[in-house]
Amino acid sequence: MMPLTFLKAGEQSTIKRILDVNDTKKFLESLGFVVGSTVTVVSKIGDNMILNIKDSRIALDKDMARKIVI
Amino acid sequence: MKIKIALAGNPNCGKTTMFNEMTGSSQYVGNWPGVTVEKKEGKLKNNKEIEIIDLPGIYSLSPYTLEETITRDYLVKERPDVIINIIDATNIERNLYLTTQLLETGIPVILAVNMIDVINKRGDQINLEVLSNELGCTAVATSAVKGIGLEELISKALDTAKKENTKKVSPMFMSEAYGRLSEEEEEQIISNRYELVQQIVEKAVVKKNFNKIDTTSDKIDKVLTNRWLALPIFFVILWAIYYVSIVSVGDATIGWVENLFALLQEGAHSLFSGLGASAWAMDLIENGIIGSIGAIFIYVPQLMILFFFLSLLEDSGYMARVAFIMDRLFRKFGLSGKSFIPMLIGTGCSIPGIMASRTIENERDRKMTIMLTPFIPCGAKLPVFAMFISLLFADHTWIGPTIYLIAIAAVIFSGIILKKTKLFAGDPAPFVMELPTYKLPRLKGVVIHMWDKAKSFIKKAGTIIFAACAILWLLQNFSFSGYVGPDAIDQSILAQFGNAVKWIFIPLGFGDSWAAPVAAITGLIAKEVVVATFASVGSTVPIVFSQVTGFGFMLFTLFAAPCFAAIGAMKREFGNWKWTFFAIGYQTGLAYVMALLVNLIGGLIFKGTDVVKKVSLDIGLMEQASEGDVVSFNIVYAIFIAIIVIGLIIGIASKIRSSKDYASVSKAVASESVASEEN
Repeated sequence: MMPLTFLKAGEQSTIKRILDVNDTKKFLESLGFVVGSTVTVVSKIGDNMILNIKDSRIALDKDMARKIVI
Repeated sequence: MKIKIALAGNPNCGKTTMFNEMTGSSQYVGNWPGVTVEKKEGKLKNNKEIEIIDLPGIYSLSPYTLEETITRDYLVKERPDVIINIIDATNIERNLYLTTQLLETGIPVILAVNMIDVINKRGDQINLEVLSNELGCTAVATSAVKGIGLEELISKALDTAKKENTKKVSPMFMSEAYGRLSEEEEEQIISNRYELVQQIVEKAVVKKNFNKIDTTSDKIDKVLTNRWLALPIFFVILWAIYYVSIVSVGDATIGWVENLFALLQEGAHSLFSGLGASAWAMDLIENGIIGSIGAIFIYVPQLMILFFFLSLLEDSGYMARVAFIMDRLFRKFGLSGKSFIPMLIGTGCSIPGIMASRTIENERDRKMTIMLTPFIPCGAKLPVFAMFISLLFADHTWIGPTIYLIAIAAVIFSGIILKKTKLFAGDPAPFVMELPTYKLPRLKGVVIHMWDKAKSFIKKAGTIIFAACAILWLLQNFSFSGYVGPDAIDQSILAQFGNAVKWIFIPLGFGDSWAAPVAAITGLIAKEVVVATFASVGSTVPIVFSQVTGFGFMLFTLFAAPCFAAIGAMKREFGNWKWTFFAIGYQTGLAYVMALLVNLIGGLIFKGTDVVKKVSLDIGLMEQASEGDVVSFNIVYAIFIAIIVIGLIIGIASKIRSSKDYASVSKAVASESVASEEN
């Protein structure tokens, strides 16, 4: 278990958990960030990330990315 | 029989393009999520009985953003006869999530599997029959951009709408959409939906290159959002745009417009003198109207070119990446990366800038952006600076860039200070944004965008400024008892008004005569009117400024309440007058304090020198003033160097910190998982 921010650009992993129980988590889920889905890092600028999830590209800041556990 | 058809779907899946195709209207379409914020209504092209409603793009019906609330309320309260659910076929799994929720509303749903042309090009296959059987609703393959499948879609939608609807809204949906479920229940529902969607997709979709996740878009992103290249590439693009639209090509166009208006003036002169019009009527038309409007239209070609490039960036999908790239920088002073786009647009005109703030979900960030966007010098403020620089600071080329730097500093400073107040306190909102696929912009779309943006500017010049110039001319040529003419301007209504309010501006150093206070206030109509006021009043009354008070006046114009049109835009976006007045108060207060400080400190430092010596401005020289004095090459350099330096400092600072961060993060994750295991 480690935060998503540990991945480097180009790496891929599976989501194990999403921390932070509030509306933001729900929003992440509606965007496709659910446990078990595969996530790929497209680019990474100082822990802010662009991710490929379910064929769409989502930009997340580092605070959000750290709440996704892989 | 009236039929209501609602278009719903994820952001940037092509709803508005489809709406435009169906209704024949030309609503704004952009290649970034969240272009449609309010719902829009239209009538079907060939059948006016059928109403089409374009709902804002949403990911789910659980209310997280403003758009989701709008859509949910519309569906629950208005209950359209049928929903056309547009899904982006290139991203079907995520898009079908919303579909499962829409089906629960009990309103008949037709699925428009959009962007089918892209799917065909990729060689993928979507089995519509399976999709439609599994979901229990009709599915039609469409391409809104190419106009494929729209007729079939509409006829199927109408068939469905005419049938009696026996479905009812599911009670589970109501509890979820209004947030009445417990965390566990909600989580269960969400994962059930995704499981269902995944099963359906497995059955209905065949991907040709299943393992190939690295699409062209991702490849472009690897370069454009690369951790080292992102900022330099962005600055080069921005610099090139400003260089072309303001410095090189744009500057050349100014001469053409000037010549055009000179011709118009001559034409009007010969026409009206031929008709035997009186001297005052000719003065009104030639100087009061054509002259003033001409001074403003000079900037139209420059703005058009600027808007052309900004639209190009927007349609290609790069603009959304810019928000991501700038987020790290803007976060340092309490704004979100999404605040950058409004401010960039604000360099042309604050009004579209303020409107662009809508895409910022977080209310605090949005309000702050609305409040600070007018600080960015807009196209209309340039003539004011140009006038002062050419008349007072002819050999000080650094004044123009300094104005921009002060504006940027004021945005940063205000962001940091306002975050400390109760109104804006709290952590910055998390940054989550879907990035559209890169697209080759279509010329037609870009030109429509450019025209949309320029239109509002031209409209403003043609209506409000036109009227203001005429009224201004009347006020300065008439006293309360009748026509006085230019020779007795001191008795005019305008002079009396100026004399009544000038004491406010005495501490700022430009309250000795009535002209400057009047100009400061007429700037509310439109900032260009400041120049028009000086130009028309200055030909008969001496206008007195020292370099210090002139600089103070420029800063006052920069920060004080924007023009009425922009105030109107602020009111629309804030949604109430309370916030609007607060913002205007802050802006004008800051303007007053800045001008006061310049006058006091400048007066002390330069005591006894020429800098504080008041001189009468030679308005005749103003003809030669051009914005070239303000927007010279230097300013572009100055801004970029400043931003790069800030970026470097932040970069180094975060490098030092990041090692500590990693330690704390892994600790947090470890303790979280321990806690969950204990539960």
